[in-house]
Amino acid sequence: MTTRVGIVEVAQSVGSESKDNLYEEIYKISKEVLDKAGLSIRDVDTAVSASSDIFTGISCANAYYWDSTAAFLKNGSRQDGESLFSFYYAAMRIMTGHYNTALVVGICRGSEHPETDSLTTLFGDPFSQRPLGLCETVVAAFQMRLYMERYGITEEQCAKVAVKNLGNALRNPYAHRKRRYTVEDILNSQRIADPLTAKQCAPKSDGIVAVLLASEEKTKRLTKKPVWFKGFGCSMDTFSIGDKDLLGGSLRDAASRAYKKADISDPKKEIDLAEVCEPYAFQELLWCEHLGLCDEGEGGKLIDSGRTQIDGDIPVNPSGGVLANNPYISRGLQRLVEVVLQLKGQAGERQVENKMKTAIAHGTTGFAGHCHAVAILGV
Amino acid sequence: MGRPVAIIGTGQTKHGNRRDVSYPELVREAVKAAFEDSGITPKDIDGVVSGTMPSMMEGIGMTQFYLGDAMAAVGKPILKTETCGSTGMSIAHTAYYWVCSGEADMVLAVGHEKMREGESQAVMSSCFDPFYQKYFTSGAPGIFAMQCQDWATRYNIPEEKVRDAAALLSVINRDNALDNPYAHIKRKVTVEDVKKSPIISYPIRLLDVCPNSDGTCAVIFASEEKAKKIGTKAAWVKGVAYRGEEYNFGDGDKVEWQSAIQCAKQAYEQAGITHPRKELDLVEIYNPFTFQELLIFECFGFSERGKACDDILNGFYNRDGELPCDRSGGVLCTNPIGAAGLIRVAEAAMQVTGKAQDRQVEGARLALSHALGGVMQFNGLMILGSEL
Amino acid sequence: MSKKEYKTFDFELSLPYRLAYGPTWTRFFEGLQEEKIFGTKCHQCNRVLVPARSFCPQCFVDIDDWVQVSNEGTLVTWALISFEFYNQPKKPPYAAGLIKLDGADVSMFHLVDGFDMNDLDKVKETLPIGRRVKAVWSEEKKGHILDIKYFQPI
Repeated sequence: MTTRVGIVEVAQSVGSESKDNLYEEIYKISKEVLDKAGLSIRDVDTAVSASSDIFTGISCANAYYWDSTAAFLKNGSRQDGESLFSFYYAAMRIMTGHYNTALVVGICRGSEHPETDSLTTLFGDPFSQRPLGLCETVVAAFQMRLYMERYGITEEQCAKVAVKNLGNALRNPYAHRKRRYTVEDILNSQRIADPLTAKQCAPKSDGIVAVLLASEEKTKRLTKKPVWFKGFGCSMDTFSIGDKDLLGGSLRDAASRAYKKADISDPKKEIDLAEVCEPYAFQELLWCEHLGLCDEGEGGKLIDSGRTQIDGDIPVNPSGGVLANNPYISRGLQRLVEVVLQLKGQAGERQVENKMKTAIAHGTTGFAGHCHAVAILGV
Repeated sequence: MGRPVAIIGTGQTKHGNRRDVSYPELVREAVKAAFEDSGITPKDIDGVVSGTMPSMMEGIGMTQFYLGDAMAAVGKPILKTETCGSTGMSIAHTAYYWVCSGEADMVLAVGHEKMREGESQAVMSSCFDPFYQKYFTSGAPGIFAMQCQDWATRYNIPEEKVRDAAALLSVINRDNALDNPYAHIKRKVTVEDVKKSPIISYPIRLLDVCPNSDGTCAVIFASEEKAKKIGTKAAWVKGVAYRGEEYNFGDGDKVEWQSAIQCAKQAYEQAGITHPRKELDLVEIYNPFTFQELLIFECFGFSERGKACDDILNGFYNRDGELPCDRSGGVLCTNPIGAAGLIRVAEAAMQVTGKAQDRQVEGARLALSHALGGVMQFNGLMILGSEL
Repeated sequence: MSKKEYKTFDFELSLPYRLAYGPTWTRFFEGLQEEKIFGTKCHQCNRVLVPARSFCPQCFVDIDDWVQVSNEGTLVTWALISFEFYNQPKKPPYAAGLIKLDGADVSMFHLVDGFDMNDLDKVKETLPIGRRVKAVWSEEKKGHILDIKYFQPI
């Protein structure tokens, strides 16, 4: 029999650069989450981290920071790339009954790694794509053009996402980039890869993010406000960007797997909040469609309706999202941390006031949403 | 705990210098073989877990993207596990937990490396923290040499005896590789050849050291229900353990090597093993360096402390000895790093299911597979048995 | 980016690589040297895949049915790149796009050039989605993706 998995506590660094070195900062955030739960290293049964060597600049980086994740003489592992994978893997470990607690740590430092697109070019085929400069921003621009063309989504609607999220970030002390902008400000920023303007693209940020998971019984003992793991789904698309519809993608698959596990049949009604990974503003709209929060092609209307505002009926990215804070590897887990804080009622000034039961944390990596992960949490 | 998990099929590439194929093609060769071996198709798979050593080895970031099609992973849930040298074992563990938790019924695990496309020792020296240790180590052989010297001194083992035992271990592995169609280095050598080969990092000589290989290994894990339905002979996972220690090489005792000792303790408890020396039928140790394997024999309780040299010199670890080691020829003869740990698992699975052909250990029922990684930090084990 | 108050360790990691093309891509890139663009056709789904593949990603079967596709095709989508990053093929601004060559069932990523890029509105006029383009070949060919210098609107 598998146990229910609970999220006990969360901790995160601020998105701007830290004075600590990586090894120390990971330790501090890991310690913070254990302190919140009143636990010590003795109580950590297993540790799963997420990082990517091309981003840390250290090969086998988990060997370097192993000690920092309270993993000394523990059973542990690491996921490369999407940090929500590490959350899922740790949850799985608890479900087996082998472990009662698991520490999950997502690791990325934008202030230290090269330009994000210098790194994303390394995802491409070395023979036919990399020499032509294929990188995430270029493919995002392709995707945005198609999205506007096919569904009549306007540049203004896309820009509104940036206005909303960077505005929400004003209330988030962990956010890296925050400001009250107008749609014109967003559209008049540099056209870095037309149709994308600079302010519609995420910055590169620091993010050390820690989540403490526990078995059902242990969770109930450790926190008065448990948040529960309800379901998870992930999916990966075919490699070559020329082989697929850039507006198709694998998020629908990932979401339907997660909804099935969480026994959700009507996400429009049953999802109360979503933290969506939108490194490019228009992607929030497209991902909301694929997550089933609105109908196909209706992403523009969704933002126009105001429903995704922090005081709307389905708030999306009250944290400010990835546009405000983009530690590439840990950004998925950071979405989950925000969901947990919102469901616990601990989101401070940005707390959503609606009564919430079920929420989504979404992560994506690769070109135009090559790979997606969706976690459903509930109270 | 959790539900029983079986291995229902394995596939390997012909390992070695594989400039004849691209990286995705290399990966697909093993994946196809695993499907053929298990009799299932990609449609039956609920999840794919893959990994390599570091991204820097082949210069590809997040290899799951580039290699996804070759792993038949398109449209599938995926995970990507990387833990340095122990990656292959950690991939097997991920697949195990995925099935054991009930989140998936059948998982494809793929470990891959195309080491000959990069500069492996340069890549490995980018592993250590860039501020300090990077400059004091000479790639992997340097730190392994230090561990060996410490061990021999501690147990007062005469230098000549250690040398002879390590040389014999090299000979045993290389002889074993001659029976393995997938092995990279297939050349018969003598104890004298090993002892006369050029020094890499004293006392380690060229023939004490693994090669750089291109290769991929794929293993299919299944729930009890699925394994029984498919009906092929399955290897059952009896014990899964992993331990990691401090990154700073000087912090821990690498002779009373805690990550190895405690990892074995946990795996034996799960598998109900009290006398590993007697109960295990064979072992597949991750052995990039001969000397280190001798120490591991002791940490895992196969040999008494300070006695591994005597055991090997007395034939205990021979193919017809009481505990045959590395019947595949080991990492010493085949080393695509990200695959190497998973190859240990696959070889152990083949042995307990009687599929190991010319390298079959007669009557093998219980086998231990191992991998290590990090700056002498990580040890991982998977124990497989022929019965549920 | 603001300078950190504490010491930083600045380094570049540069490593040599030598990646094997394998037989399929070897043939594809040798084709470019002769100004020919090859795909391979999957006998199960009947799609012609360009660049050529040794197996079909969807059907997971070997494919070895070589098809020469046209040097002309239609533009599926594009972007005008005005930002800089390491290892760029050329100095911005430049355009890149997905091109579906006649005879192929999938698109190919490449540069789109041969027109004035300084005025965005004019670029948009020049590159409506569906615009016909053709390969312009480099004078010196090395069996490399840039043997096709770029695709030009026709």
